[in-house]
Amino acid sequence: MKKKKGQEEIVGFALIIIIVSVILLVFLSFSLRSSRKMEIESYEVEGFIQAFLQHTSNCEDALGFLSVQKLIFSCDRDEICLDGKSACEAMDFTLTEICENSWNVGKDAPIKGYQLKIISDETEIFLLNEGNVTKNYKGAAQDFVKRAKDYEVSFKVYYD
Amino acid sequence: MKIQQMAFMLVAVTLFFMLVGIFVLVIRFSSLKQSSVILEEENAMLLVTKLANSPEFACGASFGNSKLSCIDADKIMILKEHMSKYIGFWGVAEIEIRKVYPDSGVECNLENYPDCGIIKVYSKNVNKLPASSNFVALCWKESSDTGVYDKCEIARLMISSEDKT
Repeated sequence: MKKKKGQEEIVGFALIIIIVSVILLVFLSFSLRSSRKMEIESYEVEGFIQAFLQHTSNCEDALGFLSVQKLIFSCDRDEICLDGKSACEAMDFTLTEICENSWNVGKDAPIKGYQLKIISDETEIFLLNEGNVTKNYKGAAQDFVKRAKDYEVSFKVYYD
Repeated sequence: MKIQQMAFMLVAVTLFFMLVGIFVLVIRFSSLKQSSVILEEENAMLLVTKLANSPEFACGASFGNSKLSCIDADKIMILKEHMSKYIGFWGVAEIEIRKVYPDSGVECNLENYPDCGIIKVYSKNVNKLPASSNFVALCWKESSDTGVYDKCEIARLMISSEDKT
């Protein structure tokens, strides 16, 4: 009888240790997880769209050098720059260079890929894909209207 | 005998919970320093999102319609010369603007501006945490044969806080 009582107490003590250990493990995993910093923040993607739309391109028309935003409108209207290049060609070059210089994509880099898409009235006028598509991404979009036409610029950055 | 067993059990349980408590406290205190670093980083992150639109940095109406995330580089170059009046104003250790495209590693001064890539607005001689950054349009007035026009290039506004650990 005495032996049984002692066994019961040991089992109770072991149970308490197991429960407390589980609680400690949960607490530890939460405290470790919360300190992890995000590789990319959404405000960076939003800021990137705002910033590149204002970038001055090398395409010049009669009024001066065009910003990327104006270059999108010119490309949509199939216009030509003063140096003879098409506006779409200039837009392709400028946006590719900007993206390549802004986002370091690679196997060992935290950013695995990106996608830049420009849509004019539901027609895709520019698409740039670089690197790999992953499950995690941060994205942003900017809409604007010019001469009753809707434009949408969207950008997604894929990370691990 | 029973009372003795009960007493032993109670002592064991109390000791066990004391050990657990000490373990939790040690983890808590060891993460306090880490928390202060995270807070400093968050502060820099918040500042970086609003600094570009503050009166000291923003383009305002100088470049056509008022633009978002647009920094007036001409204004910054003058601000840089009067930085002694702004010590401690933003509560950070370093503010820097780096052109992303076209890329240039040359630091700006009044002689080489605007053909340069890095504007060091403010830098305190202390240990710094990794910088928080955001994209901005860096704009200035450029002169050509036809007159003056607005030029904007994509840049990163970078802010570092002081590492107090």
